[in-house]
Amino acid sequence: MARRTIGVDLNRVEGDLEFEVDLEGERIVDARCVGTLFRGFEQLLVDRAPRDALVITPRVCGICGTAHLYAAVLSLERLGGLAVPPQATLIRNLCLMAENVQSDLRQTFLFFVPDFVNRRYANHPLAAEIAEAFAPLKGSAAIGALGVSRRILQVVAIFGGQWPHSSYMLPGGVTRGANPRDIVDCRELVGSTIDWLEEAVFGDRIDAFLALDSLDALERWLADPARLRKALPLLCRFSRSVGLDRIGGGARSFLSGGSYHDPERWSPPYDRQETLLAAGLYDADDGALNAFDPALITEHVRHSWFRPYEGGRHPFAGETVPDYQPGGDRYTWAKAPRYGERVVETGPLAELLAAGDMLCRDILTTLGPNTWLRQFARLRRAATTLTWMRSHVTALAGRIGEPHFRNPDDDALAEGDGFGIVQAARGMLGHWVQVRDGRIARYQIVTPTAWNASPKDSQGRHGHWEQSVIGVTLADPDDPVELGHIVRSHDPCLVCTVHFAGSGKRVRYGI
Amino acid sequence: MANLLWMQTGACSGDSMSLLNADGPSIEGLLRSGEIELLWHPSLSDLPAGAFGRLVERIESGQQPLDILCIEGSIITGPYGSGMFDSHRGRPKMQIAAALAARARTVVAMGTCAAFGGVHAAPPNPSDAIGLQYDHADPGGLLDADWRSSDGRPVINLAGCPVHPLTITRTLSMLAADIPFELDFLNRPAVFYSSTVHQGCTRNEYHEYDVEDHEPGGKACMYFNLGCQGPGTLANCNAELWNNRSSKTRAGVPCFGCTSPNFPRDGDLFRTDKIGDVPITLPLGVSRARYMAYKNLAKAAAPVRLIKRQMEP
Repeated sequence: MARRTIGVDLNRVEGDLEFEVDLEGERIVDARCVGTLFRGFEQLLVDRAPRDALVITPRVCGICGTAHLYAAVLSLERLGGLAVPPQATLIRNLCLMAENVQSDLRQTFLFFVPDFVNRRYANHPLAAEIAEAFAPLKGSAAIGALGVSRRILQVVAIFGGQWPHSSYMLPGGVTRGANPRDIVDCRELVGSTIDWLEEAVFGDRIDAFLALDSLDALERWLADPARLRKALPLLCRFSRSVGLDRIGGGARSFLSGGSYHDPERWSPPYDRQETLLAAGLYDADDGALNAFDPALITEHVRHSWFRPYEGGRHPFAGETVPDYQPGGDRYTWAKAPRYGERVVETGPLAELLAAGDMLCRDILTTLGPNTWLRQFARLRRAATTLTWMRSHVTALAGRIGEPHFRNPDDDALAEGDGFGIVQAARGMLGHWVQVRDGRIARYQIVTPTAWNASPKDSQGRHGHWEQSVIGVTLADPDDPVELGHIVRSHDPCLVCTVHFAGSGKRVRYGI
Repeated sequence: MANLLWMQTGACSGDSMSLLNADGPSIEGLLRSGEIELLWHPSLSDLPAGAFGRLVERIESGQQPLDILCIEGSIITGPYGSGMFDSHRGRPKMQIAAALAARARTVVAMGTCAAFGGVHAAPPNPSDAIGLQYDHADPGGLLDADWRSSDGRPVINLAGCPVHPLTITRTLSMLAADIPFELDFLNRPAVFYSSTVHQGCTRNEYHEYDVEDHEPGGKACMYFNLGCQGPGTLANCNAELWNNRSSKTRAGVPCFGCTSPNFPRDGDLFRTDKIGDVPITLPLGVSRARYMAYKNLAKAAAPVRLIKRQMEP
């Protein structure tokens, strides 16, 4: 059959995403995911004071800057062997949780569901309900999500002054501790966000929703007439009616670095990821959870516009020298991260699978990985996170007056290697830093979208998104809605597929 | 009533997030009232794939009028002046931005990156980033210094990393409703950029009596030792609180001067460079000799409740 190639640019993702897909008839037989932006963040950090990373790296991404700040501060603390007071870890977690909830709600109701009002679905039996809830920037769920996402971010503003782009986590703690007024304000902000989710999204108590532990139980819950028109049941009914539970599987291996460091157990020498939600690699085929080992992370550049090297390199040995050569078989400014040579998916679904969420595991076992499950997991993660926020605020109230910051010695960050790994809104985020003579010598970041949007590696293995669209049949190649559903279910953040170049000296690659 | 095209160049989406944070005027309110008609926003539009390219074609050919063009992000000119570090369907974004600017009634640089180059243009500027009409504080942006849009204005610079949410939506509203406003010496709307970050900071009384912190995490002023640029930075951060709640300096984070053309400055961002005991960069417009005299007197007058850090900022 004749093969033709079409280029597809997708918006309602953060940053720029282009896909090239090869079609035989209407079926996708090959795909190339193209990152179109190089900003050279690492070079901005080389030769700077170590703490400057706390100002520069949040600006990698306007939507997950708290996660970058958290990963950067963990890297420096590991480098310096610095302890963190439990109150500081609670505050850091609370802020990262608020950012993740914000992102999950905006991604679902501003970026993902607008595809449901595509003209292809104009005659769908649910079209009127979908339009009422999900019409872009007008539907009731969209307007509600705008309001609560603004409010939950006030938690970050209380401790960090503003969102996005603040630098309130410093090696040794945070810039301010909690006072009684903060506790009251945080309780109200978390409580009112839960209220909205219960009323408009779930139509049930959040704890009752989180208690669902199998696909059967979920289906009975969804069928309750009391909540048929609420946002989550509506999203589920529509998604499954158009087959989103049958497409977009992808890599079948799910990687989580573990969510939210344990305030009691997170302390030097930092040789384990002591997180409240477990880290691990969850395998869709055998349902096994393998322990997470950061040493297994490598990055390949065989199909990226960077100076070639053999195989994959760990970030501490990484280099990223831009080498733009159009027309060959290299096609993106994104690198290809691999975990022990495996192509993996990361994100809320991976986070919940690793953490032992029985509902997500049961859906995965029954239906296999798919687009609907991935999106469903994002709202379930928001609910889970809000319950953690509730308990964190209570724990914080018990620590008012305890230290929130221990100032490190002047030379604590002068020399060494460190890394920090957190679960950002879109999945696992890692920073790796090397400091020599008091200056940053190398900085490498591996972002969630770098995992998901990776190109082919040096073994020719496709990245996760590429795998998840190959084999899909497009009903209308001029308006490839299927591609939009699959890719947007990952909450893509292309601005985050940063490219961190070189090491040692500051180098300019332009004129 | 005005139509709006929002385009991202070398950006992090932070200004788009700031736009979503604005609650009055809000983006959904501006759309609902009809003040703004959104032709395109990369995160918010629901048009099918390929729509952006078709829209750009119609504007370039003059078929589609364009009232307000917002550019978010640095103009990336590398490698070797090609702009291909930042492209759309094989065409450099810097070329698209210039073509749209030539047709727009008003052009707004949304954020310090688009205005002056921003974080991506910090040394060694690996992607050769510049601003729309400036390269830091100097001419040398994508557009000449004497360039004007069809309403006779230079590029309006909404500085900030990110821009304050309400500065975004208020400026859009002023443009849509034809409310006149003045620009300052860096083409920023003076109404939002005439007071310093220091003004309204709740650590101000510490500053007044020269009660200065020497390490982070404290309650006092951060200007003398911890890198705070608040007294020298023009922005409304403490006059209009962020997220309706606070500001960086209130929360103990030094001001990094993100509305300034030299942001981020090339030095330790958490340390104040000083001559003797006094910062090299003085509060805006103050002479060194008089400032030193004033600070010595102020320190002598400091009340015990401040010296003991009893005031919550």
